[in-house]
Amino acid sequence: MIPIRCLSCGKVVSAYFDEYQKRVQDGEDSKKVLDDLGLKRYCCRRMLISHVEVW
Amino acid sequence: MEIEIISQDNQELVFRIEGVEVSLVNALRRIVMVEVPTLAIEEVLFLKNEARIFDEALAHRLGMVPLTTDLEAITPRGECDCGDHCSRCSVSLTLKGKGPKTLYSGDLESSDPQVKPVLDTIPLVKLQKGEEVELEAIAQLGTGIEHAKWQPTTTCAYKNYPQITIDQDKCEACGLCAQQCPRGVYFFDEKENKIQVVDLENCSMCRTCSKDCPNQAITVEGLGDKFIFRIESDGSLPPWEILTTACDILFQKAEKILDYL
Ligand code: SF4
Ligand code: SF4
Ligand SMILES: [Zn+2]
Ligand SMILES: [Zn+2]
Repeated sequence: MIPIRCLSCGKVVSAYFDEYQKRVQDGEDSKKVLDDLGLKRYCCRRMLISHVEVW
Repeated sequence: MEIEIISQDNQELVFRIEGVEVSLVNALRRIVMVEVPTLAIEEVLFLKNEARIFDEALAHRLGMVPLTTDLEAITPRGECDCGDHCSRCSVSLTLKGKGPKTLYSGDLESSDPQVKPVLDTIPLVKLQKGEEVELEAIAQLGTGIEHAKWQPTTTCAYKNYPQITIDQDKCEACGLCAQQCPRGVYFFDEKENKIQVVDLENCSMCRTCSKDCPNQAITVEGLGDKFIFRIESDGSLPPWEILTTACDILFQKAEKILDYL
């Protein structure tokens, strides 16, 4: 499962993961989705971009 | 000392502070991060955990969930005489569910309506068909010195106020600095054939512009007595309350010194 918070800055990134995943799967540009969700820092953005849900 | 607020909402406070030394702003920064208390889940009693996650891992996830905090209403656990946990120093939250489903922070039921997860959409645990979880989580006050889950901020940082000087005698209005700056600080006015600083406060003082200027016309400096200070809260406390609490703590520290004199 995705870590609750960004490993670098501590922002609660997991709360946005479901929406991020759904919107990207539906074909939206991930840059735009991350901007919409208010994830400004690259530390937080990589948390969502790089996460692979394995169970 | 002068303070000017640049922007403020429930999540973030940004202000200019002038006429102070690094030592003071840094003291504030450190107190904000690790000494201002917030609520976080400290103990979890598992009644049932059939999910494919160890108790410790789930307890850790629960600890990281930010909770809305009322500092007036709850006694810090070190100061409570119960020695364990009681209704004065603790808030109990329960989590219960049966798969197939994912349990979210919004599924936590709090015994205190003032204390609840800041966000309802944090995934806590995934349950396969038939798997059950039932637990009680005890939230208590603590500080970031003990564990990062009690840090009230997700960003707390300052930077020296940038100062950009362009030597007009040397500048040949090539516009290169406007192209190279990653922060959009400059605007090259083609009509006037002049370079302008349009977003000074966004400057990160990376000095790309001064290095790339073919005529060495740009000097970028950080002022030593003026800063831009940013406090981003995790939602447990509003940023202004984090800052005022930090000021109180700093004041109490100074008082303690006076006690010995
Ligand atoms: S790069 Fe240097 S010379 Fe060119 S516009 Fe900027 S300041 Fe002037
Ligand atoms: S120092 Fe960096 S951020 Fe600041 S104006 Fe120059 S290039 Fe832009
Ligand atoms: Zn981050
Ligand atoms: Zn107690």
